[in-house]
Amino acid sequence: MTEAIKVVDVELSRPLEDITALDGYQSLQALVRFHGTPIGYVTVPLLGDRCSAAALRRAISNEHGMDVIRHMLRHRLAAPLPRDGVDMDELVQTPSADYDGPLPSVTVAVCTRDRTDNLERCLNSLVQLDYPTLQLLVVDNAPSNDATEHLVRSSYPNVHYVREPRPGLDWARNRAITEASGEIIAYTDDDAVADPGWVTAIAGVFAEHPEVMALTGLVVPYELETGAQILFERYGGFGRGFVRSWYRLDGRNGKDRFHIGAGRFGTGANMAYRRCVFEQIGSFDPALDVGTLTNGGGDLEMFFRVLQEGHTLVYEPSAVIRHRHRRSYEELATQLTNHGIGLYSYFVRSAMTYPRMRLPIIRFGLWWFWWWNIRRLLISFVRPARMPRDLILAELFGLAKGLFRYRKARRAASEIEAAHARGEYNGVGGVAGKATPRSAP
Amino acid sequence: MIRLLQCEYPTAIRIVDLCKPLNALSDVRDYNTVRVFVSLADRLLGSVDIANNGQPVSVSRMRDAIAFGLPGELLRGIESLSLNGQIQTSLASAVTKHMKTGNESPVILAADIPVSVVVATRDRPDDLRNCLQCLSLQVSPRRVEIVVVDNNPDSGLTPRVVAGFPDVILVNEPRQGLAYARNRGFGVASGDIAITTDDDVTMPPDWLEKLIVPFANSNVAAVTGNTLPLALDTVSQQLFEVYGGLGRGFKSMEANTHWFRSSRRHAVPTWTLGATANAAFRTEVFSHPQIGLMDEALGPGMPSGVGEDTYLFYKIIKAGYELIYVPDAYVWHKHRPDMPALRHQIYNYSKGHVAYHLTTLLRDHDLRALTRLIISLPRSQLGRIKQRLLGRSVYPISLIMLEILGTMVGSWALWRSRRRVRREGRSEPWVPLAKRPLPNVANGPRHAVEK
Repeated sequence: MTEAIKVVDVELSRPLEDITALDGYQSLQALVRFHGTPIGYVTVPLLGDRCSAAALRRAISNEHGMDVIRHMLRHRLAAPLPRDGVDMDELVQTPSADYDGPLPSVTVAVCTRDRTDNLERCLNSLVQLDYPTLQLLVVDNAPSNDATEHLVRSSYPNVHYVREPRPGLDWARNRAITEASGEIIAYTDDDAVADPGWVTAIAGVFAEHPEVMALTGLVVPYELETGAQILFERYGGFGRGFVRSWYRLDGRNGKDRFHIGAGRFGTGANMAYRRCVFEQIGSFDPALDVGTLTNGGGDLEMFFRVLQEGHTLVYEPSAVIRHRHRRSYEELATQLTNHGIGLYSYFVRSAMTYPRMRLPIIRFGLWWFWWWNIRRLLISFVRPARMPRDLILAELFGLAKGLFRYRKARRAASEIEAAHARGEYNGVGGVAGKATPRSAP
Repeated sequence: MIRLLQCEYPTAIRIVDLCKPLNALSDVRDYNTVRVFVSLADRLLGSVDIANNGQPVSVSRMRDAIAFGLPGELLRGIESLSLNGQIQTSLASAVTKHMKTGNESPVILAADIPVSVVVATRDRPDDLRNCLQCLSLQVSPRRVEIVVVDNNPDSGLTPRVVAGFPDVILVNEPRQGLAYARNRGFGVASGDIAITTDDDVTMPPDWLEKLIVPFANSNVAAVTGNTLPLALDTVSQQLFEVYGGLGRGFKSMEANTHWFRSSRRHAVPTWTLGATANAAFRTEVFSHPQIGLMDEALGPGMPSGVGEDTYLFYKIIKAGYELIYVPDAYVWHKHRPDMPALRHQIYNYSKGHVAYHLTTLLRDHDLRALTRLIISLPRSQLGRIKQRLLGRSVYPISLIMLEILGTMVGSWALWRSRRRVRREGRSEPWVPLAKRPLPNVANGPRHAVEK
């Protein structure tokens, strides 16, 4: 028996069916949805090659019975109720009640670098999106060859291709802001696959709530085929739950601190912004995130800044992205190290930018260090099976590096900017390769 | 202090009638929180708080808050969900009952699924003959294979009985211990489902089919049935029923991971689920990496006494599968008629209970075993002594003292059992039928002769 877990979607407004052809999987993880809204996961262990609808229904009833009722009621409340309450039979027949007013124009931006295979899967899902005013944009970040350009230009005529020669994910994200024609910019990664209703869910929130400036969504695993992918989900994954949450600082007392732990809001693989917010609070910090010394944190820093500047951020689980986690254990360890570097680089950057927040950030950084790194390291001695210790250590090393990387990355970014101004970043590959931050002075 | 803080956060009060279309609350910019009182026409249901932080509250946000805050109040015929967990559970199953089902497979067990019955025996020829007669009278549309495991081949008592039943497969397991014997039987059994029973039970003709019905659900890996006393002629037989007997009640039960994780402090009561005197397993689980066969160090025939069945149930449910208790599938068990045998049995049960909990602690790092062993088990024993002293119970104190003695030597018994298993070797791992070297009908007895 392998440890692989089959990942499927179950839509409750349609009849449940047996799930077949599950040879080689040890269990089934179903994302339970009602009219597209995710309600939760159920895990059903498998025997043989199928999972019967009855087994699935029992699991849903045991794990999420009340959540199903709540979500059905949520849709039901769109219409007036009878005086004596809702009948259970009527409740399950409830039609979808999602936002159906006018929708804003949306640009979907995918920033990529030398991962043409992944990008193809991502673009195939984006061209399936059903949305009236949609611009699809691929930002090719300092590529070493023109495979991505060739792919986009030859196979996806409706996708707008731009090349951003300055290496670093946040340069690419900023390029997307200048290239975008939509009022809303939705970002995803090249190793992600968008759910058909992704953009509609995002746009609905922005349309209905003019005060919302940023939005994050639910990230579910695209597959759980390898041990590393399962470990990543167990390690915390990218999912941030199934409840729509609203975040905004209390403008009166200025004492709110919850937004320092910006990882709770989501991740850069599934985030969207009202484009005008960047005019007010500035664009992404090019010293942060993949492709620079800091290797991450650009998304977290932006979540923090949006809230710190007094805007509203919404976590909307109906906006679903499937992320293909790293398949090998080594890649996973590297990713966790990078996560540690990115997180503490973001702390350093925010503490430098907002002096008033310095103390709270230090306090939070210490608490997180104890809660997430040290406490779990201690647990791993008592219960080694729960999480491999070397992964916890990998992240611990990452954060130690993260404390010192940001200033260097900042200088590297200034140099890149200066070189770009001199016109040194134009060609394919070579120049960008020479200027990768690791070799930068 | 809390009151002062609340003054700092002004809260708006609004009332919303759900019988009318909802409207956004746009006039709440001066407030951090809106408390929405919800009514159905003139009936007030309750309130929900929305942290709006000076922003208008949209209709969809209000729907979220009301649906998540007051789900029970909105449903017809339910007073308040928050008061009663039982109502929540029944509501939850009601909603799933309404879930539409498409091409669902019918909930009956296909007639072509073969079943094996594994009977372990040790020098009880008369009991075994009665048991095999009952088994041969079972009414079933499917192929039923009967495997008898002789746990004391040297005596030569069992083959003479089995010779009278030409279709019964006989295998030998010279290593003493019920877990060894059952594992040996599972290794020979060719059915997709293996039923375990003892040589001292009598079963009605419809027992087998009733027992295996729940396997139609693919997630069910084990089923147990009820065990009733065949006779209550003697004092010892009656006392055994007072002790708890082997029956597990007349209401069906389901045990799943939900149940397994239901308490963080108290050990999960797998011993209330039944016993392998009347149980059935999907044989596939024996090759599951987290389950495997029965733990040889537990069970009758070992110093530890009992627990091999309970621990197998534990592993099955822990791995995420379901166990169903079917009270209708009952067997009649012949309780030991004399006092020494009863004392021996109760002593063994007490040792085995401790051995089982220590096994979950050592193998699965289940710390809940500690609270059971240190707190709740002594408390229950002392409680029963008190009941007896107050005259509310007829169960003699001498037997309770015997239980306490068994509890105290339980860990030593487990240690001795484990040493014996190390000396005599583990059971061979279970191999699916397709991967076994020879057709097992020929292989089984011959293999035994070689030994």
